[in-house]
This record gives sequence, structure tokens and C-alpha cells, in this order.
Amino acid sequence: MTSKRWAKESISLGLLIFPFLGIWLFFWLVPLVLGIELSFQPSQIQNSGDWGVNFEDESRKTVSLEYVGFENYRRILLDSKFWKAIQNSSVYVGGSILIILPLSFLLSLCLMKIHKISRAFLVFCLIIPSLALPGVLSTLFYLFFHGRTGALNHYLVIPLGMEPINWMMDPNFIMPSMILQSVWRWTGMVTLFFLCGLEAIPKWQSEAADLEGAGNWMKIKKIWIPGIRHLAWFAGIFLVVDGFASFSGAYVLLGGSGGLLDSGLLLVTYIYQVAFPGGSGRFDFPGAAAMSLLVIPFLACLLFSALRARNYNSQR
Amino acid sequence: MKKIALYFFLIGSSLWCIYPFIWMFFSSFKTNREIYQPTTLMPASYEWKAYENLFAGESLSFLQFFTNSLLLSTGQAILATMLSVGTAFVLAKFRLKGGTLILGLAILLILIPKQTLAVPMFEWMNWLGWQGSLWSLLLPGAITGLGVVFFLQLFRNFPNEWIELARIEGLSPMKTLLLLLPLVSPGLVTFFILHFVLSWQEHLLPLLLLDDESITLPLAITKLQDSSYRIPLSVTMAAATLSILPMLLAFGIFFGKMKTALREVAHS
Repeated sequence: MTSKRWAKESISLGLLIFPFLGIWLFFWLVPLVLGIELSFQPSQIQNSGDWGVNFEDESRKTVSLEYVGFENYRRILLDSKFWKAIQNSSVYVGGSILIILPLSFLLSLCLMKIHKISRAFLVFCLIIPSLALPGVLSTLFYLFFHGRTGALNHYLVIPLGMEPINWMMDPNFIMPSMILQSVWRWTGMVTLFFLCGLEAIPKWQSEAADLEGAGNWMKIKKIWIPGIRHLAWFAGIFLVVDGFASFSGAYVLLGGSGGLLDSGLLLVTYIYQVAFPGGSGRFDFPGAAAMSLLVIPFLACLLFSALRARNYNSQR
Repeated sequence: MKKIALYFFLIGSSLWCIYPFIWMFFSSFKTNREIYQPTTLMPASYEWKAYENLFAGESLSFLQFFTNSLLLSTGQAILATMLSVGTAFVLAKFRLKGGTLILGLAILLILIPKQTLAVPMFEWMNWLGWQGSLWSLLLPGAITGLGVVFFLQLFRNFPNEWIELARIEGLSPMKTLLLLLPLVSPGLVTFFILHFVLSWQEHLLPLLLLDDESITLPLAITKLQDSSYRIPLSVTMAAATLSILPMLLAFGIFFGKMKTALREVAHS
């Protein structure tokens, strides 16, 4: 009886968990392993000088069992464009996070001070950019914000008494405008998360603080920041992953290129450029696979240490 | 004085977020000439030509691409919600031997997103012969680490006694979960919508895996924009306006529920 029941229970548990594991194996682990294998294969570029001829032989389909060891990795590590892309992506992610998290915190604190109905309405307005397609955001940026008579120059730069900025053609301003776009996209969503965190804090805490005569600064430090700490970590990790994996916005904004002097070249855009002909005309799958695999440990270490730091902090 | 500054800041940032979209909506009636003057909001005359163009499929079969996107995102969101709820429930309430390992797999899924695996994914789908079908996008999008972590937080608040009681009554874990589901309904709706939004915005994998005849919305809009020398910009603007409508509807209807669920997750 008990063994029958045990069997029934484990079948039921299996049904709950195996679909997830199966798809994980099939559509995450297999591509990862394939990628590792691919990164050790010779790429067409070095096999023969002319990749076009090789491509017509379909040599990629006839699985060549020769491996070249770490040759692809060496080639990628010596590629200055790869380092440029890593640097750009890091600036993009770092810049967006450093602006988005404090700005959202400030916005959510302000929103807590106003009436409930107008609060819901304003939050709804704020999250609209995160609902739109990133490509649409880029189109709007191109048509509405950018340009000599665009909104940024017209409403912000010229009233401040500066020369109009050529946002897309000046290499110094491509990255800031991409960060601006990311801030525009995610601030509302993060604000919504923070606001929910702040609303979940019991009212008596802040009332007690008022009775004790604690100032605003003290209240922020002792009540509001601890209240959203988990959410802030969560948002931060999401933003890092999304930022390094972001493709659509930059792809549409810069038409698949890296922009002037590659100053807007993001990592995934470069992987795409290397893997698929078009912009640069190189058809180099092993190189692209090696490149993704070089980034993964870097990203994983960064996030893992963030998680460890978080656990350490919350145990204290 | 302080109050005024507060409202100024809040209303200013809301305007910054919403005004470009209002401009986008009105631009779908404008001529190219008017669109290139971003400081004018209203068009000189209202004509529905751009929408007619889209619905008649003059520039590209927009309705089909819209349906593709809708099918794909709905499917991904349903599957992802179901799989994450099941996995998270087992991880939260049953002491499995490999429990921590499975949670580790879910976290790996967050750390290494499928976009970084795009090139081998392309090879793999080629080998399977799935390239060009929506299945090649549906299944990889059905698992998500964020979902498992999200529901794990929700289920952790449930008392263990309930599970014990269900076990004594002879209910299988599956049935127990089905009984408890109404209690997490705000969470279900929230995660469904968040995943729907993310898969609606997916660009790289559809670009690699889909054929030209069966693309999704982000690709369709890029296409419209790329051929703007023969298709008026108002058509792009109309397509962009239509592309945001389902999201606005979903958020408008379930906004209250989402806030409830997020508050619960934040509190635990």
C-alpha cells in the first residue's frame, strides 16, 4: 500500500518537474555543448583565403572531424573589435544601471507621497516605454528625439544654451544616446517594482519613525532602502543580463552596423556580424561560438559574485 | 513649494515617457514631411490610409505577422508559466534529492540567456530541420529561470501543514498544486504578462530562425522602416502603434492584480 502510494507520488512529482528538465536539456544544454564543439572547429576564413568558394562546397554541412584546438579563441582574443565590443557593452550596462536604479528609487519615493489614484495613473504612464518593442523605441529615438530639430535638441540642449548635438553622427554621443534609450525603456518598470516593495512595508514603521523624530534621511536609510533591497538586486541582475544580451535596439538604431568608429558596437551585434554575412561579409560560425563562450564565464562570474555578496549581506 | 517640485518632477518624467508615443500615434496620419518636423504634434488632416495599407497587406502581410507574434508569445507565456509553477512548487515544498541542483540549473538559465547561444541554436535547429517554423522559437522560450525563482518566492509563504494535510488525505502533489493554484492567481497573471512582453520583444532568435514569409512583428517593423524610401513613414508609425496595443490592453486590465503579486514577492 505505502509503496504503491509512494510510486504514485513520485510519478506526480516527475510530471511536475520533467517537462522543465527535458526542455532545459534539449534547448539549452545541447546548444551549449554544440557551441563548445563548434568553437574548436576550423573556420572557413583560415582554411582558404577565399571563403566564398568554400561556402559553396557546403563544407560546413559535412561535419569535419578535425579540430583546431584553441585557435579560434586565440584569434578572437587578438581581435581588437571584440575588446571594443566588450568595453562598449560594459559601459552600456554600467551606465544604464547607475542611472536607472537611483532614478527609479527617487521616483518611487516621490510617488509614495501622492494620492493613490494619481499614483497608479502616473506609474502606468511611466511603464509604457517598457511595453513597446525596442525597435520601435529606436525608430522613435531616430525620428523624434534625435536630429537638429528633434526633441532633445529643441527642448533640452538649446534652452540650456549649448550647441545642438548631432546624436547619431558624433562618436562621442552614440553611446550616451543608447544609454538614454535604455534608461527611457526600463526606468518605469523598475519604478513599478520598487513602488510595490515600498507599499508592502507596514505603515507603522514610518509612523513610529515620525514619533521618534527621525528625519527623512534616517527614514530612507533605515526603512525604505532595506524594504526594496531584494527587489533592487533582482532588478540589477535582470538589467545586467538584459543589457549584455541586448541586440534589437542597437540593431535597429544603427542598421546592424556598429555606428561611427564602432562606438555603438555591442557584443551580441558583433557576434551577429561575425556569424552572418551582410555588414562585414565574414561567415565565421566557429569564431562567433568562441566569442559567446568567452563572454559567458565573465558574465557568470560577475553575477555569481553579486549573488554571493547579496547572501553575505542578508545574513549579516 | 516642496509639493510643487515633487509634482513637477513626477509629471515631467511621465510626460517624457508617454509623449513620444502620443506623437507616434498622431504620426500615423501624417505625411513624411510632417513627420520630419518632430516638434509638431497634430497632423494637418486625418486620413486612415496607413492603417488601410496595413490591413489590406499592401506593403507586407501585416495581419499574418501580427497573428504569428500573438500565437508565439501566448504559447511561450502559457508554457513558461505552467512549467515554472510546477517546478517551483516541487522545489519549495518537497524535499527532493536533486532539489538544489535543479534550482542551480534554473539560475544558470538566468545567467546564460539564450541570446548568447544564438549561433549554436541556429545550427541545432538546422540539424533538427525546424528552421522556419514557430516551434523552433516556442520551445526554447518555454523555460525560464526567472519564473522558477518568482514562483519559488510565492510558494515559500505557504504553510507546510497544508502540504502535509493533503498528503494525509491521499492527494497527489499534482492535485495539491491544482487546489492551491487559485491562491497564487495574481502571481500567475503577473508572470504570464511579464513573459508575454519579453517574448513579444524578442528580435535576435526570430531573425535567425524564421523565414521571410513567417516573421514576427519586430522583424516586420524593421522591414517597413528599411524600405521607407517607397513605403511612407506613416505606415511604420501605424504598425508601431498597433504593436503596442495588446500590451497596453493586458497591462490596463491586470494592473491591479500585478501590483498585488509584486507586493507579495517583495514582502517575502
